[in-house]
Amino acid sequence: MTGPDLLAAGEDERLAPRSGVRRLMGRPELGALVGAAAVFLFFAVVTSTFITAGALGTVLYSASTIGIMAVPVALLMIGGEFDLSAGVLVTTAALASSMVSYQFTAVTWVGVAVSLLVTLGIGLFNGWVLTRTRLPSFIVTLGTFLMLTGANLGVTKLVDGTVATKSIADMQGYRSCAWLFAGSFTVGGLTVRATVWWWLGLVLAASWILLRTRFGNWIFAVGGDADAARAVGVPVGRTRIALYLGVGLCAWILGQHLLFSFDTVQSGEGVGNELIYIVAAVIGGCLITGGYGSAAGSALGAAIFGMTSKGIVYAQWDPDWFKFFLGAMLLLATLLNSWVRRRAERG
Amino acid sequence: MRRPLPFAAALAAALLLSGCSSTGGLRAEEAARSSAAAGGGSGVGTPRWTFAMVTHAGSGDSFWDTVRKGSEQAAAKDNITFVYSNDANTANQVQLVQAAVDQKVDGLIVTLAKGDAMKDVLARAEAAGIPVISINSGEQYAAKFGALTHVGQDESTAGKAAGAELRQRGRKNVLCVIHEQGNVGQEQRCNGAKADFGGPLQVLYVNGTDLPDAKAAIAAKLQADPSVDTVLTLSAPLAATALQAVTEAGRAGGSTETDTFDLSSQVVAGLQAGTVGFAVDQQPYLQGYEGVDLLWLYKYNLNVLGGGSPVATGPQILTRKDAPALAQYVARGTR
Amino acid sequence: MTGPTQADAVQADPAPAAPLLELTGIGKNYGHVLALRDVDLVVEAGAISCVLGDNGAGKSTLIKVVAGLHPHDAGSYRISGEEVRLSSPRQALDRGIATVYQDLAVVPLMPVWRNFFLGSELQRGRGATARLDVPAMRATAREALLRMGIDLRDVDQPIGTLSGGERQCTAIARAVHFGAKVLVLDEPTAALGVKQSGVVLKYVASARDQGLGVVLITHNPHHAHLVGDRFLLLKRGRTAGSHTRAEITLEQLTAEMAGGSELAELSHELRRAGVLRSLGERPPDPPGPPGRPA
Repeated sequence: MTGPDLLAAGEDERLAPRSGVRRLMGRPELGALVGAAAVFLFFAVVTSTFITAGALGTVLYSASTIGIMAVPVALLMIGGEFDLSAGVLVTTAALASSMVSYQFTAVTWVGVAVSLLVTLGIGLFNGWVLTRTRLPSFIVTLGTFLMLTGANLGVTKLVDGTVATKSIADMQGYRSCAWLFAGSFTVGGLTVRATVWWWLGLVLAASWILLRTRFGNWIFAVGGDADAARAVGVPVGRTRIALYLGVGLCAWILGQHLLFSFDTVQSGEGVGNELIYIVAAVIGGCLITGGYGSAAGSALGAAIFGMTSKGIVYAQWDPDWFKFFLGAMLLLATLLNSWVRRRAERG
Repeated sequence: MRRPLPFAAALAAALLLSGCSSTGGLRAEEAARSSAAAGGGSGVGTPRWTFAMVTHAGSGDSFWDTVRKGSEQAAAKDNITFVYSNDANTANQVQLVQAAVDQKVDGLIVTLAKGDAMKDVLARAEAAGIPVISINSGEQYAAKFGALTHVGQDESTAGKAAGAELRQRGRKNVLCVIHEQGNVGQEQRCNGAKADFGGPLQVLYVNGTDLPDAKAAIAAKLQADPSVDTVLTLSAPLAATALQAVTEAGRAGGSTETDTFDLSSQVVAGLQAGTVGFAVDQQPYLQGYEGVDLLWLYKYNLNVLGGGSPVATGPQILTRKDAPALAQYVARGTR
Repeated sequence: MTGPTQADAVQADPAPAAPLLELTGIGKNYGHVLALRDVDLVVEAGAISCVLGDNGAGKSTLIKVVAGLHPHDAGSYRISGEEVRLSSPRQALDRGIATVYQDLAVVPLMPVWRNFFLGSELQRGRGATARLDVPAMRATAREALLRMGIDLRDVDQPIGTLSGGERQCTAIARAVHFGAKVLVLDEPTAALGVKQSGVVLKYVASARDQGLGVVLITHNPHHAHLVGDRFLLLKRGRTAGSHTRAEITLEQLTAEMAGGSELAELSHELRRAGVLRSLGERPPDPPGPPGRPA
């Protein structure tokens, strides 16, 4: 120890290396990992169907449709912000793609491309308004949420005359789009849907960005202490805008999936899903106050969500209780996380 | 198309748990179950099959509670294990159907409110050899997606029936209240009513998950437009709300009338009191009951009612003279 | 970010022609409030300029002007003789002015090494393959902290788990490492106990010995007099006194500040703790090579 002798002896203990267990306890995913294992074991024991290949495929698919959005929402939460418009943005993405393709009788890829521009534009709008006005993201995205909810219905009715879009299943490019966004293949009875690959890809990419890139460092810093980050030269505004663009990108992916697996889109849907994405991120270890969390955790959160929602069906329980279990898990996960944070911040 | 009711989830759960003292259906089912367990059987000699029902209902909706009671009653009679699940979100409903297919249930009852979205998963059910019956809405998709038959009410037809009744009753200016913006079935009802009514019919959009807000909206409209003499609501809870709105607008006791789709104890009380002119009933109990029973008939005897054509459970127009007889059934939650 | 590298600091000219910073007649208004009026400040390499004053005297405003958070409204601001008007912290950083704020600009939940390199991350690869050079950052952070005399075995622990003094020192070490020519310290000892204050002042002196110009903001004349070469007293946004070390004794400095007599005790405390042996009686000229305190 070459430190100055002035340092009190009591500080040696703080300089001591943390044990492996404590290091593990410091991981944001820990709570979710334990939870996911418990839920899996529980339903594997309680139901006979749960660990069949068919059921696992369904559970994975269910998890992936939440997980794809939970990834950018988790990143956003680590960056200290919310996006309440994430749920309806998915519907907007599907509607935009479907309507552009149908109304202009274009190859479906054109609609897909325009849809990406639309979702990125909305993400940019969210981030830009947030950065410029310094209003809480809760308010800004609540506004976008309401506007999108209305616009989804209004525009669809204006363009299509009904509240659902017309089927684009017979249009050119549909098959290739459907393969990319809604395809599936079967390995040994386990049907893996395209969304699962998208989901895994996003989790890996987001984990890489968070842990191994400069931008990831900035996300943690902006969420942990935006003023501190700004003071050391982190472009706080641009980081936030990029995070909202990430939400737009993933909403686009999931929106295209919904469109190309169901052919038509109900314009009133998606409301309420934004909270489910946030729940998945929080169960996965993201702090609601920002600065802490992981992409892998959000994936575990989505997996817990998928296993619970389908496990209750396989167990043939009354589904009215589903939300109760979900709420209980959210509470437990949050308690665990806040305990971890107190431990980490103790100084 | 049905709408989610704004009952708190806790209330729904509590209702399900406790079971109202008057729910004869549930009691009968329990009695039937215990007698089956005792070896007495349920009156049929078929093995215990499992039928799953997946609907697009939101949570805590009394309409779907009635549907479930019908199904549970039939399941008890037919020695069926009945599994119910629901989700208002299209993608989630599809996943729930898939989960039922994964379980290799012996029969499947689905609602086709979201039409095309169900195509693939029902094809998988067919491939797995699971017979499917559709109920409630989505008549036009039933045969296309390989359902044996459809048990329900065509929304346009129901709307037209309401329109004809409105005309017959000599209503002058109708306000059709849509409480779920974006619900195709509700639009069809209002459009159908408009077509056969012939007179002026305006549509008012309210938020069905916020009844006080809906009440204020209807009352405001009544105050703003004195020529409106009829409020047509598309669900029973909204009818009760509209009745309050009529009072709030100072129209109580006057010539203003509320008419509605679907039944509830309040609607029946309104029919008796004369504040509700008529109700268009689609007999939800029957949809649930027949869904299970027709599947059983198919499994047992390969019977298909209607030979594959839709089986209509409505529209049935109920007025003041029907109310006294209906009251007790509504009170126990099976009408 | 392309901050200056460590090499720049080592090669920094120990005796530039113009002072590192020279603020003359600086004024700053917030609306119709005159926060600062006609204030002069000189910062030379290898010297510590102390800014003293009570709460509301204008210390924070002066810092914000120096650090580029707010542009000044009157007077001139020269960096190494060049007239500037800074409008962002980035501009100040790029010119070698590093500010350590009271809240230290650290993110408590992030590991020490991530905090150390925040905003100036080391990378490997280019374009899409650009990634953090984690081993190098870990090693460098530990090394830089060691050089300042802080021995952390685990740079992966969240910086929030360090003591206040350690955090302060880490922030200073960060500024020194990234080649700051001028270190602006905002009340570095305000929230610390006596011993930790001593440690921090030692690192301030260590930074000075490495050839940096230091602006030390404090309301504690004892701390200022322990290490300072120049003293600027602010009162209600104006200069209340400007002295070099030769011109003023601790007693005079304390007297010029309002009420500080009870702090005399601290001086004894520090003296007993041995800090003054290395800090108080230092050679009159700034030494060339970085001096390592014993």
